[in-house]
Amino acid sequence: MTERPNPLLIANTIDEALDAVSRGSTPIAGGTDLVVGARQGNKRLPASLVAIDRVEELQSIGLDSDGSLSIGSGVTHATLMSSTVVVTNYTALADAAALIGSPATRNVGTIGGNVMNGSPAMDTGAPLAVFDAMIQLSTVAGNRQITTSELWVAPGQTSAEPDELCTAIIIAPQPDRSGSAYVRLEYRRSMEIAVVGAAAVVTLGLDGTIAGCRIALTAVAPTIVLVDGLESLIGQAIGEATLATVADLASSQAAPISDLRASEQYRSHSVGVMAKRAVLAAARRATGESISVPVNRSIGVGSDGQRQWEAGAS
Amino acid sequence: MTIDEQGSESESIGYDLHVNGQTYPVEATLDRNLLGVLRTEIGLTGTKEGCDDCECGACMVLLDGQPVNSCSYLAAQAQGRQITTIEGLGNADQLHPLQECLLAHGGVQCGFCTPGMIISAHALLERNSSPSRDEVGIGLSGNLCRCTGYAKIIDAVLDSASNGSVEPTP
Amino acid sequence: MTSGLTSRNGVRNENYLNLKAVTLEPRPFPRADGPDKVTGTGRYAADMVLPGMAFARFKYAEISHARIVRLDTSKAESLPGVVAVITATDVPDVRYSPGVADRTLFATDAVRFEGEILAAVAATTEALAQAAVDAIEVEYEQLPTVTDVVQAIAPGAPLVHPDWQNYEVSAETEQRPNVASFSSIAHGDAEAGMARAATVVTSRYVADASHASPIEPRAILAQWEGRKLTVWSATQVPFDARAGVCETLDLPTNQVRIIVPHLGGGFGGKCGFHFEAHIAALARAAGRPVKLVFSRKEEFLAPDRRREGMVVELTTGLNADGTIAARTGTLLIDNGAYTADAAFFPQLAAMLAAGPYRIPALKIEASLVYTNHQPSGSVRAPTAPQACWAIESHTDELAATVGMAPVEFRRLNGLRSGDVGPVGQTYGEIGLQACIDSVASRLTGETGTEADEAIGLAVGWWPSFPGPSGAYIKIDSDGAGQIITGAQECGTGAVMTLRQLAADELGMAAEDFELVYQDTGVAPYDTGATGSQTLFNNGRAVLLAASELADQIRQLAADHLEAAPSDIVLSDGHASVAGSPNPAVSVAELAATAAGAELLIAHGSGKPGEYPETVGASCVGDQGVAAWASPQFSCHGVRVRLDSETGVVRVLNVATCHDSGTILNPLGALGQVEGGVLMGIGQALTEGTQYDEDGCQRNPGLLEYKLQTAADAPTITTQFVETTGGQGPHGAKGLAEAPNVATAAAISNALAKLIGSHVTQLPMTPERVWATMTDATPSDADRDATGHDTSEPKSGDEL
Ligand SMILES: Cc1cc2nc3c(=O)[nH]c(=O)nc-3n(C[C@H](O)[C@H](O)[C@H](O)COP(=O)(O)OP(=O)(O)OC[C@H]3O[C@@H](n4cnc5c(N)ncnc54)[C@H](O)[C@@H]3O)c2cc1C
Ligand code: FES
Ligand code: FES
Repeated sequence: MTERPNPLLIANTIDEALDAVSRGSTPIAGGTDLVVGARQGNKRLPASLVAIDRVEELQSIGLDSDGSLSIGSGVTHATLMSSTVVVTNYTALADAAALIGSPATRNVGTIGGNVMNGSPAMDTGAPLAVFDAMIQLSTVAGNRQITTSELWVAPGQTSAEPDELCTAIIIAPQPDRSGSAYVRLEYRRSMEIAVVGAAAVVTLGLDGTIAGCRIALTAVAPTIVLVDGLESLIGQAIGEATLATVADLASSQAAPISDLRASEQYRSHSVGVMAKRAVLAAARRATGESISVPVNRSIGVGSDGQRQWEAGAS
Repeated sequence: MTIDEQGSESESIGYDLHVNGQTYPVEATLDRNLLGVLRTEIGLTGTKEGCDDCECGACMVLLDGQPVNSCSYLAAQAQGRQITTIEGLGNADQLHPLQECLLAHGGVQCGFCTPGMIISAHALLERNSSPSRDEVGIGLSGNLCRCTGYAKIIDAVLDSASNGSVEPTP
Repeated sequence: MTSGLTSRNGVRNENYLNLKAVTLEPRPFPRADGPDKVTGTGRYAADMVLPGMAFARFKYAEISHARIVRLDTSKAESLPGVVAVITATDVPDVRYSPGVADRTLFATDAVRFEGEILAAVAATTEALAQAAVDAIEVEYEQLPTVTDVVQAIAPGAPLVHPDWQNYEVSAETEQRPNVASFSSIAHGDAEAGMARAATVVTSRYVADASHASPIEPRAILAQWEGRKLTVWSATQVPFDARAGVCETLDLPTNQVRIIVPHLGGGFGGKCGFHFEAHIAALARAAGRPVKLVFSRKEEFLAPDRRREGMVVELTTGLNADGTIAARTGTLLIDNGAYTADAAFFPQLAAMLAAGPYRIPALKIEASLVYTNHQPSGSVRAPTAPQACWAIESHTDELAATVGMAPVEFRRLNGLRSGDVGPVGQTYGEIGLQACIDSVASRLTGETGTEADEAIGLAVGWWPSFPGPSGAYIKIDSDGAGQIITGAQECGTGAVMTLRQLAADELGMAAEDFELVYQDTGVAPYDTGATGSQTLFNNGRAVLLAASELADQIRQLAADHLEAAPSDIVLSDGHASVAGSPNPAVSVAELAATAAGAELLIAHGSGKPGEYPETVGASCVGDQGVAAWASPQFSCHGVRVRLDSETGVVRVLNVATCHDSGTILNPLGALGQVEGGVLMGIGQALTEGTQYDEDGCQRNPGLLEYKLQTAADAPTITTQFVETTGGQGPHGAKGLAEAPNVATAAAISNALAKLIGSHVTQLPMTPERVWATMTDATPSDADRDATGHDTSEPKSGDEL
């Protein structure tokens, strides 16, 4: 019989996980992409896996000495959506985590798995992109950090090497008077995959006008798209005209496909709607207003918040 | 569905699973899902398969008290954890309060979604002992039911919550 | 039933004046199968195992129309672990299907839809069976596909069944090229009526196909012992399944036993005879038991059961006073590649398109059109949700045209007790108007609707299906009762309610009875969990058996108490003489006496209720469902909210009211209504099968075919109008399908108020809603024309 690597190693430390990865094992965290994909026959289950869901070092959310937020790759969506620091300072990420799948999916699915799976419809992607997050990739030899746009190269494909493990996601502190939000279009109120989505982080000046704005879009291109040309918003007040500009910019930079879930035209249109809603919610959060996570359910269609939303828009 | 094209040729691995307070030695290939091993090797068929796709929730079990779609979870990855299936929550002589409430409210029709639904409801009430109606809806949203329209299931869970009926899992 | 008291001109029969909807207090309903189901100990078909059993997989066509040039199973047969491979040549050459015998177990010369079975394999593991399936070689010559019902009936269209004229058809079936079954209903002179009408409105609505999607995928296990075959199957209709096995494998009924373990829902998806014969034939070839468990994808692709797509064209002429003068309609129903049980669909759909309205002149033509899609078959109220959605959307258009509120238009034109319906059937007491009143008052009684919300309602109707049915009841020496019934429990609680019916008749408690059911080997015939008929028909059988048994007990008690049998009353598990509760003798004691002498056994069947006559109407292709036995009526109203920028719609609350005659089990009835409403919301908004240009399904999975989740569930309030005259036990009518008729239509009407016109495609997906809004952004003038004056912010709040 040929020598085969152990089919499943259960790592308890980062070192054990890195060692296994260096020997050709594929990491499995919650398995909600990996196992589902394999059972559907999309991708074969790798012959050797290393389970990283018991590595405690990967499961913490903490502040680095420079004030950056460091999220272990093994942090689950359930943890992420209820983490005070994430909900307070990086709300868009909590919005996204809270929308993923069902309670069971959120309970085992991890941010590391979401990021490394690299789907263009991934929900944490747009928030991470607007926060300029750095993805920390580690090998037995050491660490490197890359941006999200360096990581995601094509649908389901990342630039990480096979022996690299994502160990953390690092996000620099946001300027004062910043707020963020992630909104996605969904046909049901749960168990959805983003038809399109948009994240925004908005920083307000002391006069209440826009001092900074970043927007990223989900499921409208092979990878997450950062919207260009937002400089024109600087100094503008949040209002109908600004939001219309946001919607136009987002729609025009979307390059979606038509598929089962939506046509290209509808995606282009609705991503603009999502973008402007994300900007509005982010701006309102920037003023200190508390809009509960996820925005989709607190201001989405069918919730009573929707009207306050519309009131805020006009 | 076969995952590993070698099918039965791939090597079995041996491990223990702790299910409902009992330990079961298992020999199975890596590709086997927890649902299949529970139903076939361990013989606990209360957990159901509705889609094998993480979409219906009929296969829901608790892993260390938290809900997991066992159809899409590798059995081998569950080793060392406490697994609770519907059979671990109550029996005909002593129904779990959630089971009683579901029956009393008419939340059971064909019953195929019921084990998974009870597992998710249990996890929800452990997380949040007095959920709102909407929170129950979101909490059960990974469990499809085609028969009831959910209203009576949600009523039952709310009733169960108001009686403070969920104790921590063993 | 009334006679001579009809009131076509709106004068209500005074006997019917007091009909009122009521909210029913649920009576405790201890389900006999409840503990099994909540504890996970109940066995479903997929849970069954037998020693030595092999696993089955099917080789599917995976192409929607082709001639089979070569089919080679030799490689598959030689693979390790493979115990049987069978094809058409291994089973009798039988064409079957009620109405039109166009079906074979395995493809012979051609395949006509992607899920058609070419071969079946049994192997010692599922993986090996799949490997063998993958090793089967097939060569095709592709044939032109027919995927559109309109093109299918155009002259010169390629034929799905070139041999159609040679198929055996029932006497009633009217065939045409690419039309499996045609029906028309005509009453009065529709053309003349239309010519005289003050206004004429024409609408066209198109519904996509959808699916029953029970949460349990089907599973079958077959075992031969000598010449006797036992099949455990997840079927709603064990006796139909038996008939199918006997017909296709040429076996007598007494050698075939179908047992249904607990059934995980059906909704019609598990009606009809499906794969039992394939697995039985495999088991025979393999010389061992064989088990089949479907994946969710197979559940979508393979069964002859899909809710049919439909194109509905309706024209209605109105008189100046808003009454309907005449209606014509054309319905094209997508039959798919084979006819399953759909031959009667055109007539049903035609009745649905007429609607529960007073229409003096009517002509509706409906065709069941062959395509290279998966076959259609009875899914919960076949044809009704789509046809009702079309007709009731059209009805709101009519109301708008004459400037009437939708609810007033329905009050004016809707059927009343004693009226004569579209085929000349005279109705007795019917609750349609009371249903409308009930829903309208609950919906409008709520506080004001916001600008993004609207309310809408729709009415529906649906027949009950009288049929033969049987049951036995016995009481053993310890006083424990057993009901042995041919009926099938699919979750509705219909069989579970039989205990209560028997117990009430015998003065005992429901818990005193155990049920033996869904086993063709032990119980008399019943049609199965289909057509909402279980309590309606089997309830009659159980009541008869129970009353016969009550007579036997009274006779025993009379001897014991020295009284006349007619003076004995049965209550609380005891028999006593009327008027003097003491002395009393327990049923258990009497049963012990009987155990040593003449046993306590009774049987019931009884004559099924009769179908009413059609009078003064002509029905071409009459399949016997134009005049409706124990007709049921309903009204559903909804409040929806629209995200006008994206077209996403949410149903916030639902008010329903049903006339299903006497409600035997309120808790069970509410469960049927609520489940039907959620299914209707799915059909309205998210559930639609998409096809590629070759006729293959693009979304055969639960991620892309979206059922409603618990997070989407609205609040639902329900009332019942308990009319008299139902032919079921104690005046009951059917119930399980009726709640799946009017919901999508009500949503359509509410939505139309918000966007100014109806969305003409079902499901009304966000993208279709958005497209309707952007294509035809209605000007204010348009809105006036449709009668929905949006200048007034609260217009959505009016019915
Ligand atoms: C029912 C259902 C609903 C879902 N809904 C959503 C949704 O709404 N939004 C959404 O974005 N996603 C959704 N998903 C997808 C999935 O749940 C998420 O992407 C999840 O975050 C994946 O995490 P995981 O831990 O389960 O990943 P795994 O499946 O364990 O891993 C995914 C991939 O990443 C690799 N990987 C995992 N961790 C690391 C690491 N630390 N370093 C390097 N590589 C790693 C694995 O090798 C694998 O290739 C859904 C999935 C299901 C089954
Ligand atoms: S079987 Fe696991 S979610 Fe459906
Ligand atoms: S009770 Fe049948 S699916 Fe829920």
